[in-house]
Amino acid sequence: MDNENEFTGADILLKALKEQEVDTIFGYPGGAVLPIYDAIFGQNFLKHVLVRQEAGAVHAAEGYARSSGKVGVLLVTSGPGVTNVVTGLTDALMDSIPIVCISGQVPSHLIGTDAFQECDTTGITRPCTKHNYLVKDVSKLSETIHEAFKIASSGRPGPVLIDIPKDVQFAKSKYIPKKEINFREHRIKAGSKNVDKNFVQELVNHIKNSERPIFYVGGGCLNSGPQASQELIKLVNKTNIPITTTLHGLGCFPGEDKSSLGMLGMHGNYEANLAMNKCDLMINVGARFDDRVTGRLDAFSPDSIKFHIDIDQSSINKNVKVDFHTNTDITQTLKEINTFIESNKIELEKKDYSNWWGQINDWRKKECLHYEQGDEVIKPQHAISRLYELTNKIDTFITTEVGQHQMWAAQYYKFSKPNRWITSGGLGTMGFGMPAAVGAQMANPDSLVIDVAGEASFLMNIQEIATAVQYKLPIKIFILNNEYMGMVRQWQELLHGSRYSESYVDALPDFKKLAESFNAIGVRAKNVSELDDVINEMVSIDRPVIADIWVDKKENCFPMIPSGAAHHEMLLSKYDKENPENQEKGKVLV
Amino acid sequence: MSSSSVYPTPINAFKQSKRSVLSVIVDNEPGILARIVGLFSGRGYNIEALNVTVVDIKNNLSRITIETLGEEKVISQIIAQLEKLVPVHSATNLANLSESYEAEICLVKIEFKNEEQDQKILNFSDIYRSRTVQKRQNIVVYEISGTSERINKFLDDLNTIGGIKVELVRSGPIGLGI
Repeated sequence: MDNENEFTGADILLKALKEQEVDTIFGYPGGAVLPIYDAIFGQNFLKHVLVRQEAGAVHAAEGYARSSGKVGVLLVTSGPGVTNVVTGLTDALMDSIPIVCISGQVPSHLIGTDAFQECDTTGITRPCTKHNYLVKDVSKLSETIHEAFKIASSGRPGPVLIDIPKDVQFAKSKYIPKKEINFREHRIKAGSKNVDKNFVQELVNHIKNSERPIFYVGGGCLNSGPQASQELIKLVNKTNIPITTTLHGLGCFPGEDKSSLGMLGMHGNYEANLAMNKCDLMINVGARFDDRVTGRLDAFSPDSIKFHIDIDQSSINKNVKVDFHTNTDITQTLKEINTFIESNKIELEKKDYSNWWGQINDWRKKECLHYEQGDEVIKPQHAISRLYELTNKIDTFITTEVGQHQMWAAQYYKFSKPNRWITSGGLGTMGFGMPAAVGAQMANPDSLVIDVAGEASFLMNIQEIATAVQYKLPIKIFILNNEYMGMVRQWQELLHGSRYSESYVDALPDFKKLAESFNAIGVRAKNVSELDDVINEMVSIDRPVIADIWVDKKENCFPMIPSGAAHHEMLLSKYDKENPENQEKGKVLV
Repeated sequence: MSSSSVYPTPINAFKQSKRSVLSVIVDNEPGILARIVGLFSGRGYNIEALNVTVVDIKNNLSRITIETLGEEKVISQIIAQLEKLVPVHSATNLANLSESYEAEICLVKIEFKNEEQDQKILNFSDIYRSRTVQKRQNIVVYEISGTSERINKFLDDLNTIGGIKVELVRSGPIGLGI
């Protein structure tokens, strides 16, 4: 007789997901996960979103996680099901996105026999997850799932995979609730709990004595939660220090604020990069000195004292040596800095850094984001600017694919809140944006979700438009259609003598008809006079929309620090010529 | 070409690299060795020697000792990366401890042809106090332990004897902070 306190592995999984307050799961069924799908059939707390390919599930889970601050969850079958999510897991690892991937595995006794749809899942995903498990004993399942959620969301977040053989899904055991599990601290790695008082004091002293300070803020600030952004705004307002953010830091500080210098890095603002180059005090808040940000390392901010707040110990001194660092949570650290300034009544108002701001304002006069919009052909920059102007009164989430359109979106769309900007930064995964929009819309059903796309990236996961239609998700695909892999074309123009090898996207579908065939809506703007109407129409339709925006085919993304160049060697427009020596060196880089 | 790279690659770092012995305490669970070896190969670090054994059955802990090459900055990064792995309790560079002890064990099988060679071998064996494990007509097996450097010297000395055949196995260094 069955013990009534015992449940199957599949039921234990669902009980654990319920206890973890998971309400949405993205997945695709298959032989090795059928017991779990059977358990999903008989319940109603968990909404399953059927994607059209597993890559869609993992990016949707990323979009869900980024836009909600919660852990994204996906369910895939063994073999091809799980190999299809390898790109997304790597993407989540690079961009520190908390997701839990449940994968089915062939029954335990068949592991190692090259069974049908068998693969070495934990072997394949080991380097692209924060941690992974193969659960061979059903009595360990509850503990494993709860630990997986804890690891995914603690410290520097990341993807965790749990591989469950089919026989374990059928086998029975007791369910162990979260509160009865003894999490071991060394496995969770949540960072130090106590803020380093010395660090805070040193930082405030350096702020008092600096002439040219700058905040350099990255995705860590986002991962620390919305409170981190509040504390950051408070600190910036109190100190009047200019702030620049990385691609992932966008939204942590209001983009329209006068203290914001915008994004820095390869396609960052001139004033942001110059300020980084000339500052005497750099305060890095959850950024990792990525190569897209630093440019040539030996010329990176040569005269500054560097402070680094990062929960990940391995980010400290990895690429750039810093003078002071702390491995504590950003919210707590910023709070402590604010409290220290207040409780010691430190007068920072007198220190208005007027010379520094004067210098920055001179750089701003270069108007590095200036472009000329003519009467006919739509400039891609203009398309994003108009999209921003026409949607910024609504709570809008922007996802992107990867390439020129992504950089233009980062440059011309101004974010005022965290978690509204969802993009693939570290890995640069084309095909990310559409499924990510599906995830973001699931998490935020009443908000406007737009995937700013290029036509080439969009084609990589185009099947997910069916998912959006099935679940009535009114996501908008805003394609800057230039018929090229734009960023590839730009590099070929700048570094390879305009030999456009294989970067022209021939035989494109008619995106309007394509939308219609999926039972979505297609709209199109061919010239600038149609643009606003098309954007307004797109926003007003309560269904998935593909907007095909025909933009200038030869437009390049500026400003640009070419690979191998330093911050102060930015190219502002196509008329700027690159130092030929740098060009040769840059060619070998990515 | 490497000087023009924006990436600080370990290959560059080898220019000022020195030998370090890292001692890593881990949960003894499936895949832990693969995680560590994968981290080294994936990030371009070098493993000169590696030793893994369970050291605490009750708490299910293993100690992994890794000999690696790299400049100080790279070694610090390796330690930070190791400590990010979920089953890793701690990773320590033995050189950073105020006092640590290091040892390695080596088994050497030597085939010789004549009395003169035998005498020379015996002589080195005496000097290095290696233990005879087995001796037959023209084959002798020694066990020698100590620091890796000591074993290297013993092997160098043996190699000065011409015409003998040497086969050996080494445990790689193990170490302990005191």
